[in-house]
Amino acid sequence: MPSSYARRHGLKPLGAGIGLRREFYAQLPETTRALDWVEIIPENFLTLGGRPQRALEACAERWTVLSHGVALNVGGPGPLDEDYLSRLKALVERVDAPFFSDHLCYTRLGGVYLYDLLPLPFSEEAVEHVVPRVREVMDRVERPFLLENPSYYARMPGGTLEEATFLRHVAEQADCGLLLDVNNVYVNSQNHGYEPRAFVDALPLERVVQIHLAGHERQPDVILDTHGAEVCDEVWELYRYVLERTGPVSTLIEWDQDIPSMDAVLDEADRARAVLAELEAR
Amino acid sequence: MKPGLRGFFDSMEEYFADPGQVDRLYAAHPGWEASRSRVAIYGRLVRHHVNATLEKLFPLTRGGVGEERWEELVRAYEALRPGTSFELNRMGEGFPGFLADEAERRGLPGYVPALARFEWTDFEVFSSMEPVPERVERLTVNPTLAVLEHPFRLCAYVRAKGKGEPAAGQEMALLWRHPETLVTMYMAASDRALLAVKMAMEGLTPEGVASATGVPEADIRAALEECVKDGLVLAPG
Ligand SMILES: [Fe+2]
Repeated sequence: MPSSYARRHGLKPLGAGIGLRREFYAQLPETTRALDWVEIIPENFLTLGGRPQRALEACAERWTVLSHGVALNVGGPGPLDEDYLSRLKALVERVDAPFFSDHLCYTRLGGVYLYDLLPLPFSEEAVEHVVPRVREVMDRVERPFLLENPSYYARMPGGTLEEATFLRHVAEQADCGLLLDVNNVYVNSQNHGYEPRAFVDALPLERVVQIHLAGHERQPDVILDTHGAEVCDEVWELYRYVLERTGPVSTLIEWDQDIPSMDAVLDEADRARAVLAELEAR
Repeated sequence: MKPGLRGFFDSMEEYFADPGQVDRLYAAHPGWEASRSRVAIYGRLVRHHVNATLEKLFPLTRGGVGEERWEELVRAYEALRPGTSFELNRMGEGFPGFLADEAERRGLPGYVPALARFEWTDFEVFSSMEPVPERVERLTVNPTLAVLEHPFRLCAYVRAKGKGEPAAGQEMALLWRHPETLVTMYMAASDRALLAVKMAMEGLTPEGVASATGVPEADIRAALEECVKDGLVLAPG
């Protein structure tokens, strides 16, 4: 069952990918291992020449490249950054990414970037604020766009909606796709005491076009979304649960800190690919 | 934007300007039940991005000022709100100028602002978007070349990874990105490097330079070859 958002936009599941991180600039383009696609953080390529560009070009020759941003600031109070948007559009076109994504959050206040994915209050006011901004982004970049469900450590003041309702309202009213970060669902469910499967069930799953899997760090009173470890068993199980409802979805292993080796990340991608294949064979 | 959401952003902006003032944030939102330790994670994360970026960009400068003063400098610089670009490394651009302004008042070692400028230039050259042609028709200066002048021997100091203090003495430092390895190269400008740059800029030939200076043409060619190998100048073929 391909998601209806994907079908409407002619987007096919791409398999299992990993991120082109700085540590892999030399290795990744040369790898002989299985890899279906590559994700980039566009901010690392928009204004930085030299090594990142060489690596990107080499990867784009071999694989589909998807752009997953962190600085769009789609939820923020100030106007969207014109310079950023025009550079992003050019990059997405240059690598011919079938779609691009960023997070449902804000990253900039008073014109200053804070370089973090900061949570919004789950409120109708925030929905009203974000929806036209998402539309503006899609109009500017002219490719299908996915919003990711971010992790958050505290519910922001002024929230009146359930998190899943908030996501649904934004995605449906803006008519964008969803990048479902399954680790974020798990981390949030643990940090805020809810049932992750019920949360998944409440999402507009027909809009899910991409999935993120990642590791986290368990502290005594909170789980931190660090992208610094292997994907845990509970997240793998939740991943299956999602795929059983969505059908095959392009899946990325996010590993950004304490990366043991590129092979370890590719091992995780192999595991995701095996799950995708197993469910497809059913 | 509705006033409730506007108020939320305003209170968060105030909080991030001084994450110690978490009480003020809670006062702005009566009845907000989120745990303070959870909210404080955001204050720490935002601060961490500034710290980590400046530490990465200016490791020798940090060593030169010492840990305690480094922390103070980073805090004071952060208060100037340097995150004006979506690319977080850009926040380092104003740091050398900030150190120059603060040097006297804070009693920083005299070489520190120049060293910070060197480290920033290293990053700028490394990540330069200047297109470097794969082929050239004539001898060409590497378009990423940056020239710095300062009254310290910083090239030797940086090569030794910042032991002690740099020696005093006027230096013209050349920094450029090697066209193949893509790493930053740097050297105190030597006669042969300056000659190679001059030949490229003015379109001089080894024959012409030899006859004008009396230096054997073979020596000039050898000097030029070395600069081409280092990527300081780009040669045809
Ligand atoms: Fe993610």
